[in-house]
Amino acid sequence: MAYFSKAVRAGIGAALIALTAALPVAAQDLSGPGSSGSSQKFSRNTPSQQGRDRGQYIPGIALTPDGCEVWVMDDGAEGYGDNRLTRQGMPICHDVEPCGLLNTDQFFATDSYRIKSQHQSRIAQFFRSSTAFAFVVVGHTDSRASDDYNMRLSYNRALAVAKIGKSVGARITDVRGMGERFPVATNATKEGMARNRRVEILCFE
Amino acid sequence: MKNYIAIVSLVLASACTDEGLRGYPADKTIDRGIDSHPLTDLQWGIHIDPDGCDHWMADDGFDGYYVARLDKYGKPVCSGVAPPTYTAGDFKGGSPIPDPN
Repeated sequence: MAYFSKAVRAGIGAALIALTAALPVAAQDLSGPGSSGSSQKFSRNTPSQQGRDRGQYIPGIALTPDGCEVWVMDDGAEGYGDNRLTRQGMPICHDVEPCGLLNTDQFFATDSYRIKSQHQSRIAQFFRSSTAFAFVVVGHTDSRASDDYNMRLSYNRALAVAKIGKSVGARITDVRGMGERFPVATNATKEGMARNRRVEILCFE
Repeated sequence: MKNYIAIVSLVLASACTDEGLRGYPADKTIDRGIDSHPLTDLQWGIHIDPDGCDHWMADDGFDGYYVARLDKYGKPVCSGVAPPTYTAGDFKGGSPIPDPN
């Protein structure tokens, strides 16, 4: 067991204080001349704001083939575009229904991630008949049990579905467990919780 | 009649150059080029970046548009529909202006 005398601990403490005091100086040195980024100021009165538009760019919204909104602008010479995102970083998409949706009650026993054998062929058939080029499999649970447990259970269920897809030659590009974090219904009712227990299959043409 | 046509074309020409000289207004939602149209009808294709992930790409004549292909959870879609750096889909199909290649 390590033991430090009071004097040694005081010494270590002083050294730590000296170190942390030195840190901001080092950070300042990094952002000095020669490094890009943080030192740049963005004035609203540069040559770029002197045109007829006074620097105002009102974008339009275009839809990608997946049905997600993107900002687009054309100032007559250049085109600009970017994804429209919520402040949580989620894209704003229309027709968000996943192309495959498994109610997990029908396919798994409670707390289990083994797919009942009589249902495996139904899942295989879904993957075989789809025209999509690639799939992402995403598991979800209701809000009972711990977040950590639900993250694991939903991931393992998604993996089980993805495994069937792979076995029939489907291209699975990602498998995820979202736990209880993305409910589609209230967890206050039985019906809501049942809807939240699901595995989504996202399809990409 | 000849004079009338000359005046009309003069007015049209000056309207064009006037627009060009004075710049365009803040509304950037339409393509004002040769085949003027609203930007909502861009024709998208897919470009696979060197990391293997998809981007929507549209060639609108002289303007190019390029945005990330995201799934509904905001994660990049990396479909493998083409090898890295290659394209899929007729992303130039929305414009009559040929590219130098």
